[in-house]
Amino acid sequence: MFTQMILSSIPDDFIGGITHIFENNYELYLEGIKYTLIISLLGTSLGLLLSLLITIFRIQEIEKRDSLFTRFLKRLSIFVSSSYVEFFRGTPMMVQAAIFYYGLATLGFRIPILIAGILIVTLNTAAYLTEVLRSGINGIDKGQIEGAKSIGLPKSKMYRYIIFPQVLKNMFPAIGNELVVNIKDTAVLSVIGVSELFYMGKSVAGTYYRYTESFVLVALIYLILVLMTTRLLTLFVRLLNGNDKYSFPSSQSVPVEVNHG
Amino acid sequence: MDNNIITITDLSKSFDGTLVLKDINLNIRKGSVTTIIGPSGSGKSTLLRCINQLEEVSSGGVFFQDTNITESNVNLSKIRSKIAMVFQSFNLFNNLSVLENCTIGPIKVLNLSKEQSNERAQQFLEKVGMLPFINRKVTTLSGGQKQRVAIARALCMDPEVILFDEPTSSLDPEMVQEVLDVMRNVISEDISFIVVTHEMDFAFDVSDRVIFMDNGEIVEDGEPSYIFHNSKNQRLNKFINRV
Repeated sequence: MFTQMILSSIPDDFIGGITHIFENNYELYLEGIKYTLIISLLGTSLGLLLSLLITIFRIQEIEKRDSLFTRFLKRLSIFVSSSYVEFFRGTPMMVQAAIFYYGLATLGFRIPILIAGILIVTLNTAAYLTEVLRSGINGIDKGQIEGAKSIGLPKSKMYRYIIFPQVLKNMFPAIGNELVVNIKDTAVLSVIGVSELFYMGKSVAGTYYRYTESFVLVALIYLILVLMTTRLLTLFVRLLNGNDKYSFPSSQSVPVEVNHG
Repeated sequence: MDNNIITITDLSKSFDGTLVLKDINLNIRKGSVTTIIGPSGSGKSTLLRCINQLEEVSSGGVFFQDTNITESNVNLSKIRSKIAMVFQSFNLFNNLSVLENCTIGPIKVLNLSKEQSNERAQQFLEKVGMLPFINRKVTTLSGGQKQRVAIARALCMDPEVILFDEPTSSLDPEMVQEVLDVMRNVISEDISFIVVTHEMDFAFDVSDRVIFMDNGEIVEDGEPSYIFHNSKNQRLNKFINRV
């Protein structure tokens, strides 16, 4: 009875359908946008911090003067950190989310879905950004490292004050790109029931049996979010760098372009 | 060893099986100016880089005062803070200003206060004529200016030794003189200077001692007048006549 009332109230045409869905459900979509943004912003920021830590483990180099124990520790940290990166880059985030959430539940740990979502995005972002940072460090002129060594800066301080600041500045477009990717990829978290934008779109679609209209609406909202984000990032970089030219692709398959003036 | 700041014993170094330094023995007297000359590929830069362990030795010892710094239990950062280096390619920190390049060592390695470090940096930047550029990003400087900042950065560490690795080799000709003048200006009794260079006039003027290397060996070793005028060594004379 109630269902029939809902179904009969919506216009049959496409544009009318979209307008009706939006007018009657914008609160749900806003809620979805809120979670999508919270998860992708927090996940990207925390992922960046975690990637700095993992990168430190990843870039250990065995030197001639190291003791046997130091060598063992360094090999272990390289092995663990690269396994981490390989695993998270080598499996779909949707599968990771399912394993993580249901796995923990099976073991008796019930964590809030939102926290689970943020954690999964964080772990994933950390894996990708570790690779970004590592290639960034490899791209830093070796003279910077020798300069730091020559004044006796210990490695930790060298990375803290000399290497990471330069790498992070060079890698900013790639980090921004990761944020954009995360805004879209939070959609897969609907598999564990995180009420982000895609999840909301799905439930609205189910209410009206109007899948195309609902998902076109969701796509439009994603597009607006991504366009706004890339423009904000570009503006931010301009403020930081004067006239340097950066571009933010919105897909991972497009190479990142960095032009220093 | 009292009067020697650096002692090198039976040092050999090979890269992928090629011997580039053969059984080097060398003492550097405290407060002296030593220049190392020789053809490209003779091993002079490698020898210099062994002194602060930017290159690991294959065998032999490098002593700073009484400490064998090739041993694994040595605190290398601490030793390096006393052996500053000026590089051919400057190696200034690109993310820092001129002043910060000079203060990061004193603040983060020597644990001086920011005020003390700034004061010291300004003193040495004035000495190398770079005080007006104190807030500039180093990437905006010319080669000669960069090298002068690099010399100030080394001096700010209050080191026992400064190593110069071909400090003028990557400079435009008109900038070579300004850097050499600055180097002459900073030479003092308190610091030992070891300079790898192709500037023969400079080597003759400022050195207490000149070392000629060829093919991974020290071939001649003596006062400048001996090296440049009186040595009968054929390899040395051939080299000097060529440059």
